[in-house]
Amino acid sequence: MRILIVDDEKLARDRLRELVNDIGGHTVIGEGRSGNEAVEKAAELNPDILLMDIRMPGMDGLEAAMHLMGMENPPSVIFTTAYDQHALDAFEVNAVDYLLKPIRKDRLANALVKARKLTQKQLKEINEAREEQQERTHISVHMRGNIRLVPVTDICYFLADSKYVVVRTAQEEHLIEDSLVNLEKEFGERYLRIHRNALVARAFINAIEKNPSGSWQVSIKGIDKKLDVSRRHAASVRRWARNKSSD
Amino acid sequence: MDASKKFDLSRLRFFVRELMAPNPDIKLELRTQHFLPNFCEGKMIINLVMIAEMLALVISLVMPVPSIFFSNYFEALFQISIFVQWIALACAAGLCLSRTYLTRLPNHMALITAYLILLLITFLVNECAVWVLWWTGKIASPRPAWYAHLHFQNLSISAIINALMLGYFLTKQELKQRTISEAQAKMQALQSRIRPHFVFNAMNIIASLTRSDPKKAETAIEDMSELFRMMLNEEETLVPVNKEIDVARKYLALEELRLDSRLQVTWDIGKFPRKAIMPILTLQPLLENAITHGVEPLPSGGAVSVTLWEEEDIIKIRITHPAPKQKKKDIGPDIDSALENIKQRFHTYYGDRAKIRWERQDNRFIISVSLPVRDIM
Repeated sequence: MRILIVDDEKLARDRLRELVNDIGGHTVIGEGRSGNEAVEKAAELNPDILLMDIRMPGMDGLEAAMHLMGMENPPSVIFTTAYDQHALDAFEVNAVDYLLKPIRKDRLANALVKARKLTQKQLKEINEAREEQQERTHISVHMRGNIRLVPVTDICYFLADSKYVVVRTAQEEHLIEDSLVNLEKEFGERYLRIHRNALVARAFINAIEKNPSGSWQVSIKGIDKKLDVSRRHAASVRRWARNKSSD
Repeated sequence: MDASKKFDLSRLRFFVRELMAPNPDIKLELRTQHFLPNFCEGKMIINLVMIAEMLALVISLVMPVPSIFFSNYFEALFQISIFVQWIALACAAGLCLSRTYLTRLPNHMALITAYLILLLITFLVNECAVWVLWWTGKIASPRPAWYAHLHFQNLSISAIINALMLGYFLTKQELKQRTISEAQAKMQALQSRIRPHFVFNAMNIIASLTRSDPKKAETAIEDMSELFRMMLNEEETLVPVNKEIDVARKYLALEELRLDSRLQVTWDIGKFPRKAIMPILTLQPLLENAITHGVEPLPSGGAVSVTLWEEEDIIKIRITHPAPKQKKKDIGPDIDSALENIKQRFHTYYGDRAKIRWERQDNRFIISVSLPVRDIM
C-alpha cells in the first residue's frame, strides 16, 4: 500500500513513518503538515491510505477528508488523534478508522490491513458530533479529476445555475455541485442572500444601487459586474446596508 | 461527623484565611474549630450577657406584676436579670471548663453532653436561688409551695433556649465547613486541569524521540515528571516565583519539542525578592493558553513573550502572543473562558487584590497580571 502521512508535528510524522517501515509491506510516499497539504498531495500522489491527524492549523483533518471525498478514487483515511472525546464517539458509531496517540505498532498494523473508504455521510455525522461544529475553510473544486481548494475568504459570490453553483473569486469562476440552501446554512454569517439564486460575500459588497428601471443591484469589489437584488430580498439587503453604514 | 478532621489543614490554612477573614489568627482557630464557640473568651461572654439580658427583659414583660415576688416592673426586671445572668454566666463557665473534653467528642455526643450540662447548671442555680431566698429570710422554708413550679418553669425555658442556641451553633459551623470544602474542591479542580491533549501528544512525541534521539527523550520524560509532580502536589499551594518560572520553562521545553520551530518564546525576568511567592501553576496555564490559542492555530507558528518583574510589592506578569482570528472553534474553550477560569483561581487565593486583564492590540493578544508579593506563611 502507498501511504501519505499528514500531521503538523514533525516528530509525530517521524514516528508514523518508522512504525510503517517496521510493519513492512507498505511505502510512505509523502508527508503533509496541514489539511491543505493533505488534499494537494493526495491529488498529486494518489495514495491508497492517508494517515491523518485531526487537529491541525489551517484546514483540519476532517475538512481535508471531506474534500478528498470528491476525488475520482479517494484514498482510505485513518485518523490519528491525541484526545477528542466527542469525535471519538462518532468514529465508533460510524465505524471510521482511527488511532490514538501515542500510536501503537500493533494497532497501526491492524488499521492498515482493514483500512476502509470513508463516506460523506460518516464525515458529516462526525462533524456534527463535535462540540463546536465548524464551517469549511475552503471549497473544493474539481478540475479534470484533480482537486483545487478555493479559500472561502476569496469567494465574492455564489450564483446558482440550473444544475450547478457558480463560485466566483476576483480572478476566476468554478462550478461546484452543491445547493445555495446548504451554503447559506454553513456560511450564513459571511454571505448575504440577495436573490433566490445568489449569495454575495458581505465583505465584497461595494455598493447597493438603484438602476433606471427601479430595481436594486449590488456592485461587487474587484469585479466589473452587477448582480440583481430580487424584490423579495430588497428590504433585507437595504436594512443590512443601513446597519453597516451606521456602524 | 467531625468533617474538619478529613481535610488537609495545611493546604486549607491559606485560603481559608483569605476566605473567612484577613486575620492571621484564624488558622490556629481552624485547627481546633468546633461547633461550640469558645466561652472562655471575653467577646463571647459579652455577647452572652447581652442575649441573657434580652431574655430577662422578655420574661419580666410577661410576668404578672404585682405578684408574690415583685411589687413593680423595675423590681421584677432587676431581680429576673440577676437570676438570668447567673444562669447564663454559670453556663458559660460550665462550657468553658468542659471545653477540652467536649471538643474531643464527636459532634452529636458533644451536643448531647453540652445540653445536659446546661440543664444541670440551670437546675443548680435554681436551687441556689431558693436557698439564698430562705437564708436571707425572704421565704419561710427552703421548700415553698411554688418550689416545683419554679423548677418546671425555669428548666423548660432553659431547655428551649439552649436547644435553639446549640442548634444555631451547629448549623453555622456546618455552613462554614461547606463553604470551605466547596472552595477547596473548586480549587483542586482548577489546579488539576491538565489538558489531555497536551499529555497524549507529548507522550507520542517522547515515543518518537526514544528512537531518533534518546537523550532528548530522557530530558522530556524528566520535564514531564516535574510537571506532573507539580500538578499532583496537594501539600503546597504557594511556591517561590523562581520555582514557578522553572516549571513553566519545563512545560515550554515540551511544547517546543512538539511544535518545533513554530514556537518561539522570549523571556524577560526581573529581580524578585527571595520571599516572593505565587500560587502553584500560575504561569503554566497562562502559557498553555498562549500556545493553544495563539501559536497552534497558525500554520507557521508564532512568538510568545513573557515578562515578569516586581514593582512595589506587586508581582507583574505580562504575556503577549499572536491573536489569530477565531474562525475555528475546535480548540476547546475560547480564550476568554480559559482566562476567566484563571481569574477565578486568583480570586480564590487573593480575593480582589489580584488583577488580570487581557486585550487585543493590533494582531497580538496581551495578558497583564498583578499579584501581591506575599511572605511565605
